[in-house]
Formats: sequence, structure tokens, C-alpha cells
Amino acid sequence: MSLWKKVAVFISVMGPGIITANIDNDASGITTYSVAGARFGYSLLWTLIPTTIALVVIQEMVGRMGVVTGKGLSDLIRENYGVKATFFMMLGLLIANFGNTVANFAGWAASMEILGLSKYMMVPFGAVTIWILVTKGSYRFVEMILLYACIIFVGYIISGVMANPDWNTVIKQTFVPKIQWKSEYIMMSIAIIGTTITPWMQFYLQSSIAEKGISKEHYKASRLDVIIGCSITDIISFFIIITCGTLLFPYGIRINEASEAALALRPLAGDYASLIFAISLANASLLGAIIVPLATAYYICEALGWEAGVNKTFKDAPQFMWIYTLTIALASLLVLIPGAPLVFLMVLSAVINGLLLPFVLVFAILLINNKKLMGEFTNSRMQNYISWGTIISVIFLTVSWVVTSVF
Amino acid sequence: MPFFGELFVSEILRKPVLDPKGEELGKVRDIVVVRGEAFPKVTALILEKKKSLMNLPWTGLNIFNKRIISSNIYTESLQTYEFNEKDLLIVRDIFDKQIVDANGAKVVRVNDVKLEGYDSEALLIAVDVGMRGIMRRLGFERGGEDVMRIFKKHLSNNLISWTYIQPLEPKLTKISLTVPRQMVSELHPADIAEIISQVSHKEGASFFKGLDVETAAEALSELEPEVQAAIITGMDTDKAADIIEEMPPDEAADVLSDLPVDKAKEILESIEKEEAEDIQELLGHEEDTAGGLMTNDFITYPPEISVKDAIEKFRKDAEDVETVYYLYITDPDEKLLGVVSLRELLLAPLDAKLSDILETKLKTVTPDTDEIEVAEIVAKYNLVAIPVVDTEGFMLGIVTVDDVIDVILPPSAKRKRRKV
Repeated sequence: MSLWKKVAVFISVMGPGIITANIDNDASGITTYSVAGARFGYSLLWTLIPTTIALVVIQEMVGRMGVVTGKGLSDLIRENYGVKATFFMMLGLLIANFGNTVANFAGWAASMEILGLSKYMMVPFGAVTIWILVTKGSYRFVEMILLYACIIFVGYIISGVMANPDWNTVIKQTFVPKIQWKSEYIMMSIAIIGTTITPWMQFYLQSSIAEKGISKEHYKASRLDVIIGCSITDIISFFIIITCGTLLFPYGIRINEASEAALALRPLAGDYASLIFAISLANASLLGAIIVPLATAYYICEALGWEAGVNKTFKDAPQFMWIYTLTIALASLLVLIPGAPLVFLMVLSAVINGLLLPFVLVFAILLINNKKLMGEFTNSRMQNYISWGTIISVIFLTVSWVVTSVF
Repeated sequence: MPFFGELFVSEILRKPVLDPKGEELGKVRDIVVVRGEAFPKVTALILEKKKSLMNLPWTGLNIFNKRIISSNIYTESLQTYEFNEKDLLIVRDIFDKQIVDANGAKVVRVNDVKLEGYDSEALLIAVDVGMRGIMRRLGFERGGEDVMRIFKKHLSNNLISWTYIQPLEPKLTKISLTVPRQMVSELHPADIAEIISQVSHKEGASFFKGLDVETAAEALSELEPEVQAAIITGMDTDKAADIIEEMPPDEAADVLSDLPVDKAKEILESIEKEEAEDIQELLGHEEDTAGGLMTNDFITYPPEISVKDAIEKFRKDAEDVETVYYLYITDPDEKLLGVVSLRELLLAPLDAKLSDILETKLKTVTPDTDEIEVAEIVAKYNLVAIPVVDTEGFMLGIVTVDDVIDVILPPSAKRKRRKV
């Protein structure tokens, strides 16, 4: 195949991997990276390398399943493991993603406050806009907005470069890890993996690849899309850590939220850095708030055989519309109620995500080795060693993260 | 073996089956069905005991209901069973799968299967696709009922009779009936397109293969371009050519333009020459211009013939042409002179000549006119179709109002979401 033909094929299948990866950096992801940078400087940068590798290994498998079977992950789990496994998994996903949506609305609220806009106005405005955009607009329009919104993530790269870090130290710390054997440090590094590899994005990626109808012949191009997407996610994370590590860490400024990072940046790096951080956070939060509830409603309805579709009415697709609408309505309401147990909800969501992930990953690797489904596209022996190795380490780390964050 | 009444398969799964002495033979793992006269019938139960599988034929059963299942044979005379692809098993092959409800024209998922006794046989009469089926599988049907009673509602079964079911994958075809195939063909092509776009491309393609050529052609034009391409690519060239030939040339050109070049060429070569030339001509235009929208399927008459002759001719010509509301009047070189609407033709005196009644001040567009502009002109002048002419006035084709509407408002199957 000529180079141009290869490029053309890539452009035609590009998208799912890159969009998935970008939405992965939602409010909770950005918070984790900001906190990590402010607390430990560059010393956690190295964790991004194993994280990226694990992400690529897992997403590649899920993407391959999407290409070969043309079905979503929740479909495959339902068809091969029955209604019980599916039902409880979907219930878990619903709760976890609700927490996720709350986190995203909280991120949206906080970033709006930084920009000087009242959250009591902007949160309802955001919620209603999202709802109308998805239910009344066309999917293509939404997709276009999503792709363009991904560009705003470049803001983090700009702020990272503007922070003017000492690149020598950055590179050294990235490739030569100096692990600190402190419990807080270890927890933080596990949190980075936990927030990067989530259950819902496996469902999301496989469905969007299946929907795109990428054929087996173009599988290699699709794999490239996934690998690029995973790399972009972690490049963004890299620059968030650098920004906070350069500007906040030397002064010993501790933060607990991404929005605090934006505020703390103002006196140190000027209005622009703070503004870029706040806008990027607003963008990431809103993107997450669009996709996560929508994706959740789709997987649940498809797995359980209910009508789904954004162009349907409450009468035609009641479960779908109610799940989608209630997630957005309740999440935005909770953010506005003073004293609502937001932190508890977010921890709960993280815990459930951590508990779901082992099941999702084990189902994924069992399905991909199913000859009846995958034919010649099952894992090779080598791939299985790598995948099982990755999955077992990820499971071990997330479970210990869950255990430590609960106790 | 007498079995009266009805039961759901999930109610007997993992239930013990007893031998004549009351010893347990094994637990119900799956049920084998084969094609029956109207409904598939149960031929055997697959039992599981200590990881080994056994085949208990239907004739070996003594009592079969949701409380007790007992057999008249002993363990020694049971044959072992091995899973194979030939058998149709309710749990493995029907449970949790997506199927097409030909009556409701939608895709549903099987939550449970209902069996009913008839003569001395157990027939698979319906599948449960409702919430109650899910609750039953999860083991809290009772609890669900209680909760619903609080709201003064009844947890209703949502059963679809087997006669309305159309399998998506060929596996189930072996026992499918002739009825749903006809029913599917009677569905509106837009409904068929909706069904196909809701399932995986592979299943969509195998479902599509079962349609007759005419329905297939209509359904195909309602589908999204990617789905069209996936389906046609997966078909053998002759069948694909038959379907493409059945479509109006403009829609055929749209489908072919989304295919890999080699495949498109192959299909064009197997299509009748005249039809293929029409399509080829249309393929040369950009997709979002008048040229890309137009069809070369229209009626032209010379100006000198009489209204009577024109009507006579029209009766024959109109049969194969999609848009018949305008008769275009051209000179022998196909240069467009004017138009006569069907209404004017029918109201005109029979002995008048077409040149007497023809309207010469007509709106035209060129092949490279933008599609939005075409839509605006059609809307402004309330046209059913607009002719496309080249710079010298030669008639190339027409753009019809249905294609214009697709530009402004894509048909629902095309607009339909895809999972985000």
C-alpha cells in the first residue's frame, strides 16, 4: 500500500481512540494529576510510562474486539456470560458513573467560580445545555463539538511549557524513577493508574469502534488510533504534572482539587496560566458530563435489551431517557446543595470503579481468547502473557488503592 | 410424556432431575430444540452432574413442570453429551441474544423463553423480552412484583410469539419459519434500515441477505453510507449487482461511490450495460452538488408530438421512471427546450402539440451547483424536481425533491445516533 493510501485509511478510521482518551482526562483525572504534581513535583512522572503501556495493552484488546465482532463490550458480556453478571456490572457502572458525573459538574462549578461566574447560574445552564444538545441535536453535531473541544486540552501543554520547567530534571525524573517509599507517595502513584484506566472507557471505546464499522482489514490503522489516543492522554497528564510540579511544588503549596491549582497559579504564574487551567478544567468537566451519562445510558439499555437512542422520546425509550436525564439532573442538583456529601460520593464512585475494573478486564481477556468470537484475532501466547501480566498488576494496584482509600 | 400448562425456561434451569427411585440424575443445564411444525419442540434436556454433561431425551421424562422434573430412566442408561454447533440450545443459542421482532419492527433481547405443552410435546412458543423476564432470571421476580404492587402496578410480561421472530444470525435460520421472512419483507424499508443499524454490521449483513431483491434495494438506500458499504462489500458480486440494478441510478451511484474502487468496478461490470452507463455518468460528480444528487432517470419527449401521443407514450414510459410529474421537452440533441407538467398534459386538448403548451421559462441548475443552493431553489419555487443542464443547455438529469429533503433533513435511519 502506498503511503498516501495508508494515510487515507488512517484518517477514515481515526476518532474513537482519540476521543475516548481525551474524555478520560475528565475532572477527576485532572484533579489527581494536579495534586500529584503539587505534592511530589516531578517525582511521579515516571508512573505515566507504565500507565501508558498498560492503557495501550488493554485498550488495544478492547478495540480489537470492537473491530472483529462489531459489537459493544456490554453486548458481548451479556451474550456470553448471561444476565446476572451483566446486570450487576451495569448497576455498578451506573453508580460509579453517577459519582463521575457529580465530579464533573463539581469541576464545572469550580472552574466557573474562578472565571467569576456564579455556579448557581452556570451549573443549571450547563446541565440544560448538555441535555438539549444531546436530545435535540444530531449526533454528528455532538461528535463535531467533541472533536473540537478536544483541542482545548492543548491548553495544558501550553501552560506546562509556559511554566518553564528545567527540562533536564523533567526528563531524568521521567525515565529514571526515584521511588519514595512513603505511603502517601505510593497511594498517589496508584491513584494515577486508577484514574487513567477506568471501566467505562473500555465500554465506550469498543462501542464507538463497533459503531464506526471498521473492517478487519483496517484493524492496524485502528490500533494506531488507539495507541495515539492513549499517548495523548498521558502527554496531557504529563504536562499537568509538570505545571503544578514547577509552579506549586517548590513553594510547598498543597492542593486537594484541580480548581485550587488554577487559583494557586494566579499569584505565581499570572492570570493567563490560571485562566488556561480554569478553562481547560471547565472544558474537561463539561465533556465528561456530556459523555459519561450518555454512554452509561446506552450500555445499560443495550445490555438489557431496552430501546435506546438520543432521538427517541420518553415514551419510546423510557429507561434510556430516564437514566440519562436523571443522572444529569441529580448530579447537577447535588453540586448546588450546600453540604451535600460530594466527597463521599466521589470516593464511593472511585471504589466501585476499582471493584468493577477487575471484572471488566477479566471478561475482556476471556472474550478476546474466545475462538468462536474472535477467530484468528485471538491473543497470541505472547500477547496473553503481556495482557495477563498487565491486568493482574492493574487489578492488584486498584484493589490496594480501594482498600487504602476506604481505611 | 404428558406436559400440560406452561413454564419459563429460567424456572427449571439448575433444577434437579430425579430418576424413578428419586435419586438425582443431574441438574438442568440446557434444552435442545428442533424445528417443529409451527413451533420448535423440545427433544432433550442437557443435564450436568459433577462437571459431566448428559443427554436426557424428551421421551425419557416422566413428570415435567416447574416444581418437579423426573425421569423414567436411570443414570446408567443416560448418554453423555458434548456441546456441538449442530444442536440448537435454548440457553446457549437463544438466551440473551438479539433478535428481530417482525411484528413490532424492532430489535429486542431475549430475557427468557416460554415453553407450552401441546399433545405430548413441549413447544417453544414465545420469548420474553420484558423487565419481568430479567427479574425472573436474576431470581427476584417475586420481590419485583411486591415492589410494583406498592406503586399499584403490575409487573407485566412482555412476550413475543415465536411466529413473529426473525433470527439475526444464520444459526437460528435452521429452525426459523417461513412466516417471519414474509413479514420482514412486508415491513417498511425504513423500519428494516432501522433494525439493521441497531445491530452489528455482521448481523446486519446476514439479516439483509434474507431479503428479496426489491425490499433489499429499498432498505439499502435508507442506510448510512458506512453500513451500505459494509453490507455490499460482504456480499457476492452477483447478488450485490442485482440489488444495485434495482435501485434508481442516483442512489446506486451513491452506494457505489462509498465502496472500494475494485469492488465498485466489479459490480458495475455485472450490471446491465445501459444501467451501468447511467450510474457511471453520475459517479463523476461531487457528492454535495447537483451532479451528485441528480438521477438520469426522467422522461423526455420531442416538442412536435401531440398531447394524445404523449399521454399514450407516457403510460408506457412512466412504469420504470421514479419521478413522473414533469415531462422534459428536448430537441434531437437533448438540448432542453422546456417542460410540461403532468397536470398541464392531462388538462390540455388532445390534439395540441407539446410545443404549444410547453413552459420555457424554467429553473435549472448546473452539475456543480451546491446542494444547499439546489435545496433553496426547489423550496422557493415549490418544485417536485429541477433539471440539471450543462453550460450549453444540454439536459443531464434531474434532482428530485425527496433527495433535496435528505440534504436538509437526513432520514431517521441516517440521523439515528450511533453509540457515542
